[in-house]
Amino acid sequence: MASRPPGMERQPGGCGIAGCIDVRGGKISGDTIAKMITTMGERENGLGAGYVGYGIFPDRRDEYCLQFLFDNEDAKTRTEEFLKDNVYITGDERVYTRKVSTLDPPYPLVWRFFAIAKEKLDWPRGPIFDPDDRIVELAMQINTEVDGAFCVSSGKDMAVFKGCGYSHEIAEFFDISRYEGSMWLSHSRFPTNSPGWWAGAHPISILDWSVCHNGEITSYGVNKKLVEMEGYKCSLLTDTEVIIYIWDMLVRRHGLPIPTAAFAMAPWYYPLIEGMDEKSKKLATWLRIVYKEAFLNGPFSILVGRREPETTMIAMADRKKLRPLIAGTSEKKDVIFAASEECAIRAVDTKAWTWTADAGSPVIAQRGKGLIRSGLEHPFKGVME
Amino acid sequence: MIDEELCINCGKCAKECSFGALDFKEKKVRYQGGCVACGRCMSFCPTSAIMVNDVPNIFPHHPWFTERDRRAIAAQARSGGVLLSSCGTDLPYRSIYDDLLLDAAQVTNPSIDPLREPIETRTYLGRRSGKLCIEKRGKKYELVSGDGAIVSMDMPIMIGHISLGSVSYNTQKALFTAAEHLNIVAGSGEGGLHPDFFNFAHRINSEVASGRFGVTPEYLKRVAAVEIKIGQGAKPGHGGHLPGEKVTEMISQTRMIPEGTDALSPYPHHDIYSIEDLQQLISVLKEATDYQMPVGVKVAAVHNIGAIASGIVRAGADFMTIDGFRGGTGSAPRVIRDHAGIPIEVAIATVDQKLTEEGLRNKVTLCASGSVRSSADMIKIIALGADVASVCTAAMVAMGCRVCQHCHMGICAWGIATQKVELASRLDPKIAAMSVVNLFRAWNEELREVLGAMGIDSVESLVGNRDRLRYVGPNPKMAEVMDVKHVGEGWG
Ligand code: SF4
Ligand code: SF4
Repeated sequence: MASRPPGMERQPGGCGIAGCIDVRGGKISGDTIAKMITTMGERENGLGAGYVGYGIFPDRRDEYCLQFLFDNEDAKTRTEEFLKDNVYITGDERVYTRKVSTLDPPYPLVWRFFAIAKEKLDWPRGPIFDPDDRIVELAMQINTEVDGAFCVSSGKDMAVFKGCGYSHEIAEFFDISRYEGSMWLSHSRFPTNSPGWWAGAHPISILDWSVCHNGEITSYGVNKKLVEMEGYKCSLLTDTEVIIYIWDMLVRRHGLPIPTAAFAMAPWYYPLIEGMDEKSKKLATWLRIVYKEAFLNGPFSILVGRREPETTMIAMADRKKLRPLIAGTSEKKDVIFAASEECAIRAVDTKAWTWTADAGSPVIAQRGKGLIRSGLEHPFKGVME
Repeated sequence: MIDEELCINCGKCAKECSFGALDFKEKKVRYQGGCVACGRCMSFCPTSAIMVNDVPNIFPHHPWFTERDRRAIAAQARSGGVLLSSCGTDLPYRSIYDDLLLDAAQVTNPSIDPLREPIETRTYLGRRSGKLCIEKRGKKYELVSGDGAIVSMDMPIMIGHISLGSVSYNTQKALFTAAEHLNIVAGSGEGGLHPDFFNFAHRINSEVASGRFGVTPEYLKRVAAVEIKIGQGAKPGHGGHLPGEKVTEMISQTRMIPEGTDALSPYPHHDIYSIEDLQQLISVLKEATDYQMPVGVKVAAVHNIGAIASGIVRAGADFMTIDGFRGGTGSAPRVIRDHAGIPIEVAIATVDQKLTEEGLRNKVTLCASGSVRSSADMIKIIALGADVASVCTAAMVAMGCRVCQHCHMGICAWGIATQKVELASRLDPKIAAMSVVNLFRAWNEELREVLGAMGIDSVESLVGNRDRLRYVGPNPKMAEVMDVKHVGEGWG
């Protein structure tokens, strides 16, 4: 459940992904996302599924929500003690779960703590002053050191609900319909092995970032080195975990605009770069040189969610577009969708307008701003041009 | 062995033999000992009458005191001197390359067809900042910092340092021409650059060795990159040695030393006795070249190479070449060539791990040299952690070298490792250059094939991707040290 089965390292396989965001400030019920993901039944085999909801704790907007899977009460107690030493806990509660007749126990104990970061964190490698960095460090510390405990999400005003089962079973288990959010991402899995590990399901999340990923990264060994150099600890050993750390590193820590970070992960081919204008060419070349370890090789399509500075959904595929991805908007352009298959979008909005983005080019939708990129533009539109 | 029936007594073989093993008198060729098996005579005999066989064992068989040992003892009993040799060691150490197998993509990720899809092999040599700074200026963003001096190459191959002196003018011309054609970088070797080759300077990685022969700021400003040579895999801890016989007028001019004198570089640089001193020399070279080109450091692979490499990056090196113990040489004491250093496979894997642990790996370009024999070796060394494979011996073999290990004598029958005009003229620089071009193009194609099979469409995603290697050798400890899984171990 929360702890990794012995000997398990990586989980290759295919998957389904789906996401939706209300860019005009409205709320979307958990039912909607469950309908989207469960529609793509052929993309899963009951070995893992999950959801992430943003904007689901409007009364506690500014507190970190640390959501955990525990193997037992003891793991919870140890985690709580560890947290008390390092953050101010402002509240905690058992996360509502219910029995699902088709889902075999044991179920993990699901718990969430609301917290505020302390002024600084004294850490063996030196004090950490940035509150976000402190939370990242704590979550990684718990996941690698506290037996039987796993922090599945740690952002503000968001939480991850995931486990080992079909997407409809996980939706039922957490009663996902009881939540309303401004953005939802979801994932269903078709792994080729069966670890039965709840924490290993997707979405993978750190801080306010979450990622749902369909694919297999052939450059994993290289990407892992990069994030480890930056101090991230790979506790899940999935390529998805590495992807999320790369997003966090490039966008939050190195301050790259989102399309620029996306370009580092799925760069243009050199002959195309040669044809760019001088400024873009220089930027593109240096992104390839400096962040060559961030390049995600191999087939993937991903949905990325972020809350800071404003709730944002990013959807993109690899630069050869070896995995499917389709985007859509509602008729009134207030809801933006993205999914592996069109049926997921049609299932919740028969009138939606859909399109496919260019290979490697991100679709970006942000609350308050609407569709920022449709994925058909120049890679540096809005950055250089 | 000469077939008397086929031989027409033309005398060609004796004329071609620069080692004096064949005598042509009274219209008859006789073998008079001293054959190095360079094979030149065989290639030139018009009737295929001459064959070089293993010289029959004149020593009684003994498994411990081998013939090799006894020959060495005899030679030293005669001369009382240090035995010299060249090329890489010929002792049968186990090859680690051959204990490694490559991965390929199946089902869960698709392989890529290199004939139909682009697979990129462009490689950069130089320092990387590890972080780009892009700032908003007005409405648009601008790249503020993070770029630097860097050289672009079309493939992850570099021609290593082969100095003019150890090899002939024609040989170096061929190597530089090949580098130009391939859009890769070639090492100058110790001793500066001959004025005739200044037009190749933008493809030259100029070596600054302990002797500082031929190094001037004017020259340094023209080249693509500068590399401080601390050590060489064939002779770690040892300086350069160019025998006096090879120091002709031409060599004396490029190296700026008197004709006919031995060119002996000191063992250490006499201004580098510590890592701080190295840092100073790196800074001086960067100053001298206006920060316009990458400055690297070359070291031999030795036991503590991980920590040494990390020190070198901290000292400011933009790139670093690690030279394995099998690396070639034009002349080295045999005892060092055969017994000092460690294999490049292990060295690269440990350096890559160490630099990653210390957060330095993305600041430096890592080049591996030391007897890369084939594209397979090149691919494996890249997967073990190298950005670039630096190749010498294979390029020479492409030009005709038979690896006879007698370069130090300066009478190479193939016109490669020699300064004698009559021998050097045997090598046609155009043909030799094309041979090297063909070889590396072929290797690069094979690299593309393998990358495609692995489902990787750009070579940088293979660098240090040890996940895609498996160990099949007899010693699991080796796999552990290199951080490579054993065959049979999957991902999950
Ligand atoms: S080159 Fe051949 S044919 Fe001529 S002398 Fe030598 S062995 Fe005889
Ligand atoms: S370069 Fe010439 S002397 Fe040296 S090993 Fe090759 S063939 Fe022999």
